Amino acid sequence: MPDMQTRADPVADSDADESVEQFRTRVREWCTHHVPAGWRATQADADEDAEIAFQRQWRDTLRSGGFLAPDWPTNLGGSALPLAKQAVLAEEMARADAPRLSAYQVAIFNAAPAILHFGTEEQKSRFLTGIRDGEVWCQGFSEPGAGSDLAALSTRADRRGDVYVLNGQKIWTSWAKHADWCIILVRTDRDAPKRRGISYLLMDMHSPGITVRPIKQATGAGDFCEMFLNDVEVPVANRLGPENGGWQVAATTLASERGVAIMELAERLHRMGLRHLIDSAAGWTLDDGTPALSDPVVRERLAGFHGEVQILRAMCRRLIDAMTGGRGTGAEASMIKVYYSELLQRLMDFATELRGLPAQAQYPLILSAGWESGSWLGDFLNSFGWTIPGGSNEIQRNIIGEQHLGLPREPRAPGET
Amino acid sequence: MNDHPELDDLREMLRGALDDRASSERVRAVLDSPEGFDGALWRTVADLDLTGLLVPEEFGGVGAGLAEISVVLHELGRRVVPLPFISSAVLAPTALLAGDNTALAAAMLPALAAGRRRCAVVAGGPEGQPDPATWAVTAIDRRGHYVLDGMAGFVLDAPDADDLIVVARGPDGLVVAAVEARDADVDAIATTDRTRRLGTVTFTGVTVSPDRMLARDDRAIAVLSRLQSVAAFAVACDAAAVAERAMDETAAYARVRHQFGRAIGSFQAIKHKCANMAVSIETSRAALSLALDALQLDEPSGAEAPAVATAKAYVCDAAVTVCTDAVQAHGGIGFTWEHDAHLWLKRALLDRALFGSPSWHRRQVADAVLPAPSAYLS
Repeated sequence: MPDMQTRADPVADSDADESVEQFRTRVREWCTHHVPAGWRATQADADEDAEIAFQRQWRDTLRSGGFLAPDWPTNLGGSALPLAKQAVLAEEMARADAPRLSAYQVAIFNAAPAILHFGTEEQKSRFLTGIRDGEVWCQGFSEPGAGSDLAALSTRADRRGDVYVLNGQKIWTSWAKHADWCIILVRTDRDAPKRRGISYLLMDMHSPGITVRPIKQATGAGDFCEMFLNDVEVPVANRLGPENGGWQVAATTLASERGVAIMELAERLHRMGLRHLIDSAAGWTLDDGTPALSDPVVRERLAGFHGEVQILRAMCRRLIDAMTGGRGTGAEASMIKVYYSELLQRLMDFATELRGLPAQAQYPLILSAGWESGSWLGDFLNSFGWTIPGGSNEIQRNIIGEQHLGLPREPRAPGET
Repeated sequence: MNDHPELDDLREMLRGALDDRASSERVRAVLDSPEGFDGALWRTVADLDLTGLLVPEEFGGVGAGLAEISVVLHELGRRVVPLPFISSAVLAPTALLAGDNTALAAAMLPALAAGRRRCAVVAGGPEGQPDPATWAVTAIDRRGHYVLDGMAGFVLDAPDADDLIVVARGPDGLVVAAVEARDADVDAIATTDRTRRLGTVTFTGVTVSPDRMLARDDRAIAVLSRLQSVAAFAVACDAAAVAERAMDETAAYARVRHQFGRAIGSFQAIKHKCANMAVSIETSRAALSLALDALQLDEPSGAEAPAVATAKAYVCDAAVTVCTDAVQAHGGIGFTWEHDAHLWLKRALLDRALFGSPSWHRRQVADAVLPAPSAYLS
């Protein structure tokens, strides 16, 4: 367990008079002193334990700077940064090629927003403190029989007094091996229509009855897991939102936070994806020996990607602005997810093709590098980690069609709602 | 999503005016008429001061900017309105204000603002190419007067123009001049998109007096640069608007058209096409907002060019895809003359080809963001 003693976080936006550009200068300055020099090289050879240790160390560094929870309210230890400053923070972290908190992805972008929106005061205080102190979270949503049809999940939670007793199997629970906590969707009413019988629980991963097995991914990495639950007890006090109201909690927070998460990813795609590709390609040649960047077709393709990455960055800001201003249709996050993930995939595919056979030589994927490890082929494969999870892009297109364009839902099987 | 809430009044006013006067029936009636241009609607647009939006107040205009223009282009584009708005109300004022002949600007702008005269801009090659290296219109200096010769093809709105602003290849670089359209030979081209009128413009020894010269040398290069940026932005606004209309109509059709006992919009094959349209529209809006921000910089430095070129290339490509999918999703009815889907697709195809192809624009972006190809030649 991480160290649980409470520490006061410095408040990054202590001076509300600080202009956005002053804030940028401060972040840039901070990065020059705190981003570990040469971390990509040292992390390239790191084993899993060393990767996790590095993640914890970087999380502590970010926290000391007041940049771990930029969007949380100050009374919960956040920095309550306005959107413009969050955007600048993302830009500057990408510019400095700061490590990415990959192991804390679920904690920061899934668990924390859900707890902020739906948690009781006790839950906020307990769990947000834990997240700041470094607890790793995983997400127990998918099941072998409930992927895109998530609401068909069958892991059951039977209430006995003040605990739920969980039995079932979860899959694709990334980081379950290292996790302290799990946001988990369970069936609490088997007779209700399928979306109305689901509850959202916060499960201690150190509870008895949990078995975790790693699943090796197509990239060779092993942070995927499956998880078996055998009479696992979760206190009723750890339920988020009302009993049988878990679907709403999951749907709301998945969508609302994806935009901000991708704002950061868009900046990284700009810097460590596209710009790094251009810099790298300056040293590559084509099959006839001519320099890659002297070729008009290559130049045109790169220019097209340049434009699309700028469009992605602008789109994130526009749509987040609309969402926070209550002007959205609810499908903005789905549009961002579809466009970002497919742009990432197309860019990495192009880079792999352009690099030719040398791209086939294996390079390590670097956990802390996020989606741009510098291994073009590896990053291309890894991009399925965006197009498939979190509601596959096909599910996102359903959401866009139904919520944004008012198209009718698909026919449901008998008994479904 | 609404980009410019402060422009809501303008947008509402336009919708009110155009819903009656630029209905699909009205547009089709104009396309079938010999004029091919809606004179009554042009008067309405002028009476609403839209033709004077970019013209400063001192010259009888409104003194507004490209943000307002983008709203007008959007509403006109959604209705595939057959008007020479881009040439006369956007490009001609842009050229006159970017040149250094104030007297000429003062002489021409009031009539343009009032919609009394219409002006087309000739700044392309025999096939409408944007690169001056391809151009055939030349200007020879004859004792202070310039003499224009040569041909420019596919000039937007030339058949309905009273005046022409011409960017020509001069003896030492580019020159920009204003001539009356009757001094040149203008032949209308029968184009597939009948909502726009293009023409071939031929000059045969047309003499331009010094007071009709708008710019020379570096100033002429600056005029052309601004013209090309604004033209690319304007046509991209139009393309995005046409695509948005195509998306709206396709979604509306998919909600009501039933096959196999249910609305076709419930099938993923159709729903996902529509979702792709929505993503294309949102990304197009983002591209246009970047381009508009760049064009509104107080002191354009040329650094705005990649954002505008990206918008032109990306939005026009996307619009053709959206309009293609719109025809397909409508099925047989979408391929009939009586349905508007072919009007949207044809306009999107013309927009893509006008003022530089997507490929040409991407190459401009490449030259701005990549090391020069010559850096690799030993």
